[in-house]
Formats: sequence, structure tokens, C-alpha cells
Amino acid sequence: MLPTVKINSYQFLVLVILFTIGTSILVIPSALAANAKQDAWIAAILGMGIGLLIVWLFTKIGLWFPNLTYIQVNKTLFGKWIGNIFSLLFIFMTFLYTAILLYYSGSFLTIHVMPNTPMAATNILFAIILVMAIRLGLETIARSAEIFIAIFFILFFILVVFIAPEVEFKNIQPVLEIDINKIFQSSLPLIVVSSLNTISLLMIFPAFINRPSSAKKHFLIGNLIGGLIVTIITILCILVLGSDMTALQMFPSYELAKKINIGNFVTRIEAMMAALWIICLYFKMVIYFYAAVFGLAQMFQLKDYRPLTYPLGMIVVILSLVIFPNNLEQSVYDTTIDIYFSLTICLLLPLLMVVVYAIRKKQLQKLRKHRN
Amino acid sequence: MKKGIFILLILSIFLTGCWNRRELNELGITLAIGIDKSDDEYLVSAQVVVPSEVSMKGGTGATPVTLIKGRGETVYEAIRKMTKGMSRKIYPGHLRMLIISESLAKEGIGDPLDLISRDWELRSDFYVAVARDATAEQILNVQTPLETIPANKMFSTLKVSEENWAATVGVTLDQLITDLRSDGKEAVLTGILVTGNSEIGSSKQNVETITPATSIKLDDLAVFKEDKLVGWLTEDESRGYNGIVNQVKNTVGTVSCPEGGKADIEVLHFKTKVKGIVKNGSPEVDLQVNIEANVGAVECRIDLTKPESIKILEKAYEKAVEETINHSIISVQEKYETDIFGFGNAIHRSNPKEWKTMKKQWNQHFTDLAANVKVDVKILKTGTVNNSVVVKRKD
Repeated sequence: MLPTVKINSYQFLVLVILFTIGTSILVIPSALAANAKQDAWIAAILGMGIGLLIVWLFTKIGLWFPNLTYIQVNKTLFGKWIGNIFSLLFIFMTFLYTAILLYYSGSFLTIHVMPNTPMAATNILFAIILVMAIRLGLETIARSAEIFIAIFFILFFILVVFIAPEVEFKNIQPVLEIDINKIFQSSLPLIVVSSLNTISLLMIFPAFINRPSSAKKHFLIGNLIGGLIVTIITILCILVLGSDMTALQMFPSYELAKKINIGNFVTRIEAMMAALWIICLYFKMVIYFYAAVFGLAQMFQLKDYRPLTYPLGMIVVILSLVIFPNNLEQSVYDTTIDIYFSLTICLLLPLLMVVVYAIRKKQLQKLRKHRN
Repeated sequence: MKKGIFILLILSIFLTGCWNRRELNELGITLAIGIDKSDDEYLVSAQVVVPSEVSMKGGTGATPVTLIKGRGETVYEAIRKMTKGMSRKIYPGHLRMLIISESLAKEGIGDPLDLISRDWELRSDFYVAVARDATAEQILNVQTPLETIPANKMFSTLKVSEENWAATVGVTLDQLITDLRSDGKEAVLTGILVTGNSEIGSSKQNVETITPATSIKLDDLAVFKEDKLVGWLTEDESRGYNGIVNQVKNTVGTVSCPEGGKADIEVLHFKTKVKGIVKNGSPEVDLQVNIEANVGAVECRIDLTKPESIKILEKAYEKAVEETINHSIISVQEKYETDIFGFGNAIHRSNPKEWKTMKKQWNQHFTDLAANVKVDVKILKTGTVNNSVVVKRKD
């Protein structure tokens, strides 16, 4: 049997917050502003609302079987063969997203901070701490997240306060110029990145949480807090940079940090602010990778998932280096394929699960009683 | 196994840390860049600090900055070609000024600006200005008193002048790009010019006399249509422009007294609100200007012990500001037909639907646009004395 650790629901809340913010904080303002213009913040709020509904669906699915992970739920619902195929898709997705996030972190660092450093160097370093975290286990991850979230909020607070003098309300007018259809459309990337992909957290929730029922609330609250932070960053980007500049930038929130200037004294602190993104990126990556490794181990019913970490870690590094030939391919992928891919695995499959569960409900309950 | 990982981690820290290192003494810290164009080639000049000359210990008496030039078909190429004449690579992270020559500005500044906004080392907190009647190189070739580094002089002058006289605008790269890309506002840039003998200007001799033979001065605003320079405002129009776009912080206005003579109004607070309206399908703007001011100087016979006199001065200044603003709007409408005031954006904010149809021919709409200017001046104090010193003596 695989080792079972339990984290408490507060730790889970922290993980959800970091996962929700994840890459959204860095790239979403630009994606939202590209279509919704100065109404991007409305799209962010809308996306957050819809996202919460989706997370609610995930908590429902999770709580059907409080002791099973997503992989095991798949197996129980669909049977061995079909269940495993769906699980494999899920594992493939989380694994791919680990590599994509690694690509993000590498490209962010090499574009803005260390342009002459090959991406392999930054990615290998990142992958080492990634593998390390997985090998140390879920409890260590959760505890370190508890520490890092404090740093995150301190930095976030500094960013918001220091950027406040640069705000210009003209930039946000006219409100609601774009029609609601388009706003809905442009909120789609946010829904996908921040909420749909939280399906990966079903590998932790509810099986590895000591009080699943209170964790359900924390799942929703965490998603809400994360969504609010992304919304705040989007509003600030629009207010400070204007919608046009926000859409133009690759990493608008980094550009935002560059704008900080308090009396010509507190300036050029964007490198410090980069810690914000690195923290979020890292924990999101850890959760994806954890889901992939642990899921694979569970699918093949291995005794321990640790032997998988090194080979998969190496593959992730290579994949992150070859996955996109250049950053334009990445942004095309982000706005097209990624959305449909996530929609299929994170929305279509869970909906299918709901249908199957409704049909097989009685049979499954009998099975459970039988087992007990 | 654990030891192995540990060693690997330690190694990775030490080995990757210096990958991309650039020591301070390898950087050519550039504070100003000038871009000229001649014969289809860009001529880029960079004002690079000579560190030993600006250090606290005092230099050897050589110039504090040096000018490096490079030619190329693109700006980037030209900048890299500079290394042919320089032992250090240009480091533009601390750039203060970007000077564009007037002839290049007339051709269009969009293309050369692309590199400037794309390059990762550049930040966007420097000012952009146009070299009037001169090449950018000539501007960067002048030594200045007070500030040893000419680029810093230009930067500070622009800042101080913008805050105290308000006939110039410090336009940062961000603002410029936003204006260039916006449908509802065209760009302006401050002009900068050289006076005097430009040959002496580049030598240390220039700062050895009390009145420098050559000096750099800020000039009026350059008007752009899309990314091309189409003309220059006069000083009055420049001040009107600043009033309209609400960029006046502090300035001095002169009004005529009823019985002849002049009085100065020191503006403390200047706030303009622009509101767009569409009346019968044609756009209009309402400008509401609120000014708080002091009496700065009185060079005429007016009895400042009476509150009515304040009213008279207020009315006079209201009229003066209104005229300045109206004059700048009308002359820009007639001469340049380009919306540098951002009235298009005002219409966009207030009437997004109508804006959609107007946006394409906005500059035509702009020329027929009516502006309703309302100025409200409040004079709060009369300075340290009440009546004019002259009046007292004659009593």
C-alpha cells in the first residue's frame, strides 16, 4: 500500500490558494485584457464566480468516496479498463502541465532576469527542488506552503500598497463597453487555469485530509481567495498600465512591479516581487507533479511512488525544454489547445462521472456496505 | 544517494550563479541615447558615464561622460556596432533621456521605438524628447554646469520645469507608446535645443565660464500625428496643452490690471476635468478648470486691501486661462488636425457607442469639435504683504 499521510484542512486551504493563483497572476491579466479591454476586471470576477461553481462540483465528486483519490474514484465508477484509460488521461494532463509550468518559470527567468542563461540550467534547478518536495511527501509540501503563504501575502501587500499611487481611474472607463458575451469568452482562460485545473487537487482531497467535510469549505474559500487576488492584480494592471499596455505585455504583473516608485527611493524592487510568482508557480507545479507521480503509482498499484520521481523528473525537464519551440507557440497553445484540453479532461469527464454515478448509485452503495 | 544530491545542489548553486555575471567595471552605464537618421542608416549615440570622473575622490579633469557612436540599418545593429569603439558594452538600465532628432521624428518614430520597448534591460521610466533644429548627437555633445552628467541635467530640468512652469511635458516611454497606439489621443514630446557655439560645448571649457558658451534648453512641445512629427506648438499653446491634459502642478500666470500694468498669479492647484458629450451626433467636450492661486506680484495700481480687487484679479485670470486654452485648441485644430489633447478618449469614456463609429475618422471629427471651457479661479492669499509696495510709497 502507498503511504498515507494526513494534512489538516488549513494546510489544504493554503495549497488551494497557491494553486489557484499559480500562473494566473503572471499571464492572466494579459489574456483577459486582450479581448475584454478595460473590462478585464469584470471578466476576472465573472471567471471567479463560474470557477467557484466548478470547484463546488469537484468537492461533490470528491466527497462521494471520502477515502479514495481521483484515480480510485475513476476505477470504482467506470471499472478497471475504462477507469484506467480516464486516469491515464488525467495523469498525462497533470504531467504535461508540470512541464508547461516549468517552461513558464524558465522563460520568465530567462526573459526578464537572466537572458543569457540557457533555460536548461534554470529548469534543472527548479526540477531538483520539485523532485525533492515530492520525495519528502505531502506533509512537508503542505507545511512549507504554510510558511511561504505568509511571505506571499506580505509581498502581495507591499505590491498593492506601493503601486496604489500610480493608479489612474481614467484607464478603467468606460465600464461595460464590451458586450457581455465577449466578456464571458475572455474569462474562459481564467476559469480554465484557476478553477478547472484544480481537479488535480482531487488527488489530495479528500483522501489525505483529516477532516474532509471542513476541507470542502476550505476548497471553495481557497479558490475564492485565489480568484480575488488574481482579480486585484488584473484591476491594478488595468488601472496602472491601461488595457492596451496590459494586453501588450507578456508578463503584465511584472511590468506592474517595475512601475513602483515611492519618492524616487523605493524603486526597482521588481526582482523582489518576482518571488511572488516563483512561490505560486512552484507550488502549482508541485501539486501537478504530485498528482502525476502519485496517480501513476496508484494506477499501477505500486507499493511506493518514490521510485517514479527521478525518471519522471528527468522527463519533465526534457519535456519543458522541447515542448514549445518559441514563446509564440506557447501563447497560441495557451489560448487555443490548452483550453479545449482542460475542458475535456477537467469538465467533460467529471460531468460524465456525475451521470455514471447517478446511474450506479445504488449498486455502489451496496458495494460499499459489502466492503465494510 | 542523499550525499550525492547534496553535492549536486551545492555545485549547482556555485556553478550557475556566475553564468551571466557582468561586473560593474564591465558595464558602460548609459544615461542618454540619441537616435538620428541619415542616408537610410540610423546613427545612434550614447552618452556613457566615465566612472572615475564622477567618483567622490574626484577625477583627473577629464570629461565626466563620453559619447559613443554607432551606425547601422537598425537601431539594435547600431548599438551593437558601438562596441567597435568602446571597451564596454552599453548598459541602458539607468537610461534617463532618449533624444530623437527632428528629421527622424518627421519620418516616424514607431520603428526605432520598438527595440527600446522590447529590450529587457531598458526600463520605461526615462523621458523621450525631440532635438529641435539639431541632431540628437549635437544635444548629447554639450557639457553642463551644476550637473556634471548632461543626461541628468536634462532629466532634472524637464522635471523641475514641468512642475514649476508647466510649458513642457516629461513624456515617459510608456506614455508615448500608449499615446501612439491609442485611437483617441495623439502624442506630444518636449523639444530640446542647443544654443550657442556647439564646438566649445563638448569641451570642459564650456563649464569653466559663468555663462556657458553652449547650453541645452527645453523648448516647446512637438505635435505628432500617428508617429510622425507634424509641427511645434508655441510656448503659450504648450501651456494651454498642459492645462487641458491636467498636467499643471504649479505655474505663474500674468494678467493685466484694469488700470494698466500687470499682476502675476501664482497657481498652487490646477485641476482640469474633461467630459465628452455627443450632441446631435457631433462630439463636444466640456472642460472644467478649477484653479487655486495666490497673488504673486503686483506691478500695477490695484488696492489689495479690498476684497473686490481679488474678484477683479480672479475674473481677469479666468479670462486669460480660458483664452490660452481656447487658443491652443483652435490652433491645433486648424494647423495640425491631430487630437493631442485626448478628447477622443474623453468621448470614448462617456459615449462608447458613438465612439465606435467616430473612431475611424476621429481626426476629422476633432477639427470640428466644439470645446466649452469653464474656468473657476480662487485666489486665496496675497503673499506676505497686502498692497503693492509701490502703492504704499506713493500714499
